[in-house]
Amino acid sequence: MILNYIKIAFRSLYKNKGYSFLNIFGLAIGITCASFIFLWVEDEMSFNTDFANQENIYYVPTNQNYEGEWRTFYSTPGPLAQDMKSDVPGIKKATRSSLEERLFAVGDNTINRSGRFADEDFLDIFSLKFIEGSRAEAFLNPEAIILTQETAEELFGKNVKALGQVLKMSNKDNYLVTGVIENLPKNISFPFDWVAPFERYRDGAEWMTEYGNNFSDTFVELSPEANFEAVDKQVRNLIATKEENTSDYAFLHAMKDWRLRSKFEGGKVVGGRITYVRLFAIIAFIILIIACINFMNLSTARSEKRANEVGVRKAMGSSRKRLITQFISESLMLAFIAAVCSVLLVAILLPQFNLIIEKNLSLGLTNPVHIFALSAITIICGLFAGLYPAFYLSSFKPVEVLKGIKATQGSALFIRKGLVVGQFVISIVFIIATILVYQQIQHVKNRELGYDKDQLLSMRIDRDFIPKFDLIQQELKRTGSVHNATMCNSEILNGGNNGSGFQWKGGTDTEDILLSFRNITQSFFETTGMKIIEGRGFGNNVDADSTHTLVSQSLAKMMVSENESAIGKIITRGDDVALEVIGVVEDYVYGDVYASSGDPVLFLHYPQYARYMFIKTKDGVPVDKALSDIEGVLKKHNPAYPFEYTFVDDAFNTRFKNEQLVGELAQLFAILAILISCLGLFGLAAYTAEQRSKEIGVRKVLGASVTTIVKLLSKDFLKLVGIAIVIAIPIAWWGMNNWLQDYAYRIEINWWVFIIAGVAAILIALATVSFQAIRAAIANPVDSLKTE
Amino acid sequence: MLLELNNVTRIIKSGGKKITLLDNINLTVEEGEFISLMGPSGSGKSTLLNCIGMLDNFTEGNYQFLDELVEQMKEKQRAKLYKEYIGFVFQAYHLIDELTVYENIETPLLYKNIKSSERKALVGDILDRFNIVGKKDLFPTQLSGGQQQLVGIARALIGKPKLILADEPTGNLNSKQSEEIMELFSSLNKEGVTIIQATHSESNASYGSRVVNLLDGSIVTE
Repeated sequence: MILNYIKIAFRSLYKNKGYSFLNIFGLAIGITCASFIFLWVEDEMSFNTDFANQENIYYVPTNQNYEGEWRTFYSTPGPLAQDMKSDVPGIKKATRSSLEERLFAVGDNTINRSGRFADEDFLDIFSLKFIEGSRAEAFLNPEAIILTQETAEELFGKNVKALGQVLKMSNKDNYLVTGVIENLPKNISFPFDWVAPFERYRDGAEWMTEYGNNFSDTFVELSPEANFEAVDKQVRNLIATKEENTSDYAFLHAMKDWRLRSKFEGGKVVGGRITYVRLFAIIAFIILIIACINFMNLSTARSEKRANEVGVRKAMGSSRKRLITQFISESLMLAFIAAVCSVLLVAILLPQFNLIIEKNLSLGLTNPVHIFALSAITIICGLFAGLYPAFYLSSFKPVEVLKGIKATQGSALFIRKGLVVGQFVISIVFIIATILVYQQIQHVKNRELGYDKDQLLSMRIDRDFIPKFDLIQQELKRTGSVHNATMCNSEILNGGNNGSGFQWKGGTDTEDILLSFRNITQSFFETTGMKIIEGRGFGNNVDADSTHTLVSQSLAKMMVSENESAIGKIITRGDDVALEVIGVVEDYVYGDVYASSGDPVLFLHYPQYARYMFIKTKDGVPVDKALSDIEGVLKKHNPAYPFEYTFVDDAFNTRFKNEQLVGELAQLFAILAILISCLGLFGLAAYTAEQRSKEIGVRKVLGASVTTIVKLLSKDFLKLVGIAIVIAIPIAWWGMNNWLQDYAYRIEINWWVFIIAGVAAILIALATVSFQAIRAAIANPVDSLKTE
Repeated sequence: MLLELNNVTRIIKSGGKKITLLDNINLTVEEGEFISLMGPSGSGKSTLLNCIGMLDNFTEGNYQFLDELVEQMKEKQRAKLYKEYIGFVFQAYHLIDELTVYENIETPLLYKNIKSSERKALVGDILDRFNIVGKKDLFPTQLSGGQQQLVGIARALIGKPKLILADEPTGNLNSKQSEEIMELFSSLNKEGVTIIQATHSESNASYGSRVVNLLDGSIVTE
């Protein structure tokens, strides 16, 4: 029996090649699309899941209150880790840690690698697996360093024992390799290439041992039997018992949430990437649903052709159940073929998809989870898509269909129209979303940043570079390729390096305002293109400027009333800091590029704290030439360091990764949703044209022109698209408005976006339908009439 | 007695009006009869055949098939009954286009859950008997009308029914093909198969043992 079904199904597929193609292709695209999304979701979900103790590992962020608002920081006071371990029962391991990028040298071989200074517990918390050396002997001496296998191979070469070898860090400190560990899993939120004892980080400076300075990452591991709520409660109370007059508190953030739930607002987790993971998963289902809708639509549309078969089979003695089984097995078979096609499609397109999402996903067909998921999708699609046609077709009364009376069309027609409307609603929403996401990204990319990010190079520098800066700056300028160079303690785009407790206005209400510090050289504003709007910049003499500061415009506004000048005012912190304001700098965008503005900034003339050098190349100088000139100067004066740089505008663009991903995927899905919907519409139009061929023949004989007939046939479909537009616009507006609320700096939703989307949908539908309509309209009426 | 109709009527509603398709019909069919239903279009021939074949229902009266009252049966029992005892032959043949000759003939056996080896034997026999062994792998569209109807009859016969209901079996055929089909019916009837056919043609009716004339849903003469 089953064989008989399969045989029939195959022959019927073959006989109706066009229809089968529409069906299989539509479903295959749907499954392909869903597979991509599910692979991506799986990858996102797999973050931080490769660690033995993952259930018990927590990061410790701190909540700090500024201007009445709780803000969450990924930094803690130095002593917190140790105190948590000793004071809070249930905490088994705790480590301070700081992520740093360092230069490593073995002979002439130099590389920059980021890694962590950390306490010994770090090794246990993350269950590092030693290939060379052992956990017990890894951190016995403060000069120890542990490398990942990859880093060890880059430094010492493949198949060379790294254990016991010495390497030089930052061109000055010697470290002894005491262990080589397995490379970390790719999907980890806090990756590192090396681990060294915390003692040598900043040479154990005094401020690191006090509360009040937040700088360290703290990781802890709870005992398996510990009660999370109880431990978390104690952690929240801990800082208050150690430091006077602070409302800061630390809390536990579980490892499983690091990747997906790490957006904090008002001191609480409010989501994060999980929003996108959910959104895309929903989109995957929606796309599958439109593909299935096609399937149902085309099947029911074709029902008249099959009605006869149903009648014959019933007259031959088939029960309804058997017919349902037959139709469902047919649709399962189609779904299966579609699934096979989609596996091929995924295999072919995965490299492209990987480029878009910047991941390295693989098909993983040997993974039982994937096979299971694919089978589940196939079966569910097959059942879902086949169920309605199966019940509909099997309900025909043999006498009626055999007599040639049309099967009752009312409900089927209504459902079919409803499904088409549904498909177009989804497509139009996608079109609108694509346009708005694109607009928003462009809007932010083109926003006035307060500095000129073009032709601006950023380079990490070490402390031994700083004394040579003046000379290097001179020589860089002399090459003719460089406009100017400067140093700063922070990447221009980044937040961080901040503090509070400052007073002006005689010391009221200002202590809890968080200010960012930017320790710069004299040439900073000139190089970056930031504008001093009042007063002057720093002079040549660093010592003379030690009590001077420039403030950002937003800070100046806080200091004085509207018509007053901030120049000459004094900013103090406790008894030891008193800074005179000598200039006001226009606000610039840093930290969150979507925020309306960053925290107020204090610029200080302290080049000795610099960590980055910025170089502005001259207009009109080719990038290659500028780079080789700069490299020449740096190699001469700073030979130990490899020439590594980033362009600030590139770095800026990477800030849009998430949004760009959303934008690109929305575009992709919009195209696919429209394509699938059009396949369905095309099929339906073909069916309608065929069904009405007699009517068209009669009309033509009576004198109707081709145009009127095309209009007649297209009108109904366009009505459906019109309804879809009316439904889609409020949905899209609501959804996108919600999305935009996440961004302080955002676009207004323009009404013309909806018009464009609507017109696009109508044009696409018209193109799809009119092809069939024209074909039907130009057919010779004699052919269609003589069949009767 | 194979079947008996007592005052059966079929009334349907169409556009708010009641239309009487069959009006108080009494008919007894004995096993081995060859009955021709005659009458103009719309006289109720097809309706009567469909109702006898249980594809449709009488709205009033008693229908007794092999001593069982059909109207009291459930859908399932009815289906079982006609699957077992009745074969249909249609004017438009109604072969399934996607199936070969062989498979079309085999289909009723599948619905009867007959084993594969037995099916093979049965289909083989009938192909032999109808002289269409050479055509068994062809699809219906590759055959002439007469050949298609031959397959249709073979399909109706494969389940060894007691009764064959044929609705204008030669309506789409030329006279020579018609003659062949009627000869076949006649010889089947001689082997003991009861046949009821609806027909317009006097010559076709002449093959039968009994003619029933219908007009506007009533039997006018027998």
